[in-house]
Amino acid sequence: MSEILLEARNLQISFGGVVAADDVSLAIERGKNLAIIGPNGAGKTTFLNICTGWIKPTRGRVYFEGQDVTPLPPRRIVRLGVARAFQIPQLFTEHTALENLLISAAAREQLGNPLQDLHRIRERAEMLHLLDMVGCADVADRLVVELSEGQRKLVDIAVALALRPKLLLMDEPTSGVASSEKFKVMEILVKALAEAKVTSVFVEHDMGIVSRYADEVAVWAAGRLQMQGSPEEILRHPDVIRDVIGEAV
Amino acid sequence: MNLTIFLLALFDGIAYAALVFSVAVGLTLIFGVMRILNVAHGSLYAVGAYLTATLTGYALALGFAPLLAFPLMIASAVLVGVLVGGPIEWLLLRRIYNKPEVLQLLVTFAVFMILEDVQRLVWGTQPYFQAAALQALGMVRVFGVNYTVYQLILLPLLALTLLVGLRFFLRHTILGKLILATTEDREAAQSIGINADKVFLVTFIVGAALAGLGGALASPTTSILPGMGADMIVLSFAVVATAGLGQIEGAAFTALLIGLGRSFAVYVWPETAVLVPYLIMLIVLLVRPEGLFGSPTARKI
Repeated sequence: MSEILLEARNLQISFGGVVAADDVSLAIERGKNLAIIGPNGAGKTTFLNICTGWIKPTRGRVYFEGQDVTPLPPRRIVRLGVARAFQIPQLFTEHTALENLLISAAAREQLGNPLQDLHRIRERAEMLHLLDMVGCADVADRLVVELSEGQRKLVDIAVALALRPKLLLMDEPTSGVASSEKFKVMEILVKALAEAKVTSVFVEHDMGIVSRYADEVAVWAAGRLQMQGSPEEILRHPDVIRDVIGEAV
Repeated sequence: MNLTIFLLALFDGIAYAALVFSVAVGLTLIFGVMRILNVAHGSLYAVGAYLTATLTGYALALGFAPLLAFPLMIASAVLVGVLVGGPIEWLLLRRIYNKPEVLQLLVTFAVFMILEDVQRLVWGTQPYFQAAALQALGMVRVFGVNYTVYQLILLPLLALTLLVGLRFFLRHTILGKLILATTEDREAAQSIGINADKVFLVTFIVGAALAGLGGALASPTTSILPGMGADMIVLSFAVVATAGLGQIEGAAFTALLIGLGRSFAVYVWPETAVLVPYLIMLIVLLVRPEGLFGSPTARKI
């Protein structure tokens, strides 16, 4: 049985004459991993930004679990269960990996006692487990500035998971990661998502990763959602091979 | 210079530094987190002093013990933070965070001017003097020099507590960490659901309360009169700039440096006493434009 978690209806927005979303309608099913592919400038990131409330569309609505979240500020949408992890990890670099997760947990719990020691909050064990899930338990007490790019990516995902999201939107989770590490990072990530029972949407340029980890693929071009379907079907489509895969290769 | 003079200058300097630090630390906290130089900080200091003197006056008139002056200082500081600082951030500052610095300075300067006139309206232009707290603690004799316990022991102890407490608050508590996180990356903070507006509001209230506390603590040691806020904002700015904007421990050090410089000047070469704090600032900034403890890249708190 499929259940719609997030639904975008007729999204429209332009930036200085460039149409970034042109009548975009898309439904995301609970429990699926949806990959978004398409050439640069197709409006993929804009779509994620609209879903998380950072960009307000000029027309159209976004519904999360049936609730219209279009007018809500980003932090309210986060609270409802939509987290994001972006191309460049948004971590607090002068704090340790664990502290980043603890801050996330504290933000989630809306500070019971604001003067409590951050390191002694109840969620500490849960956060250590999350770091372990993404394979970063050994760097828990290292400052983020000291971590490798791949580790930062994974810690960033853990920070997002610390919010206990229902949906995680990721913009190129493997960009900046050495190609030899990409599958390893994805493997850890997908496993962690499954364990946390989080639905995911990820923008990806690497078709190897898309075909292996996506349950469903959506193709973007010129601000429009061109087609949506299973990876087998989409990645073999002649238009996709010509316009998207051709460019990626 | 004989020992008596030396000790007097030393004690004066320490007591003065403690007061200036409690005001300057609020200024540097607000700047470190919100990147706004709050000129109105001086008025918050003055209002804290007026409020404490008035409330203490009432309490004494009603027959309460002079020791009640101490809780009233805390109460005044909180009132300044919440009732004056809160609205300033909520009504004005949050509209100008992304505006040019010149505009931000103009706005906080305007608030300063308004609050100066409000003080004249409420408290008039006659000086107030309310030394109950100072007298309540008595004197202490050190190497033949008599000095008030309030200035020699309480003020430095409070300043030290403030320094350690604030450091602990920012480095260890949940709220402190959320403030630092928001300072480092506002967008990242919002994307994990932190209400950045609320964090800034709380920070400003804390900073404003610290200015109020400085005024409250200064009130028994000085005449409270129009213009005291202007003197204090200039001096605490000198302290903050010499240390490097946003540097809390640094502000403690430079408060001591400037406090001692000023008090020794009073005894040795009185004509220069007013000048010395700014000379120190000038010399430091000529050599290190980012301040003694600041780094050239705009590092925050």
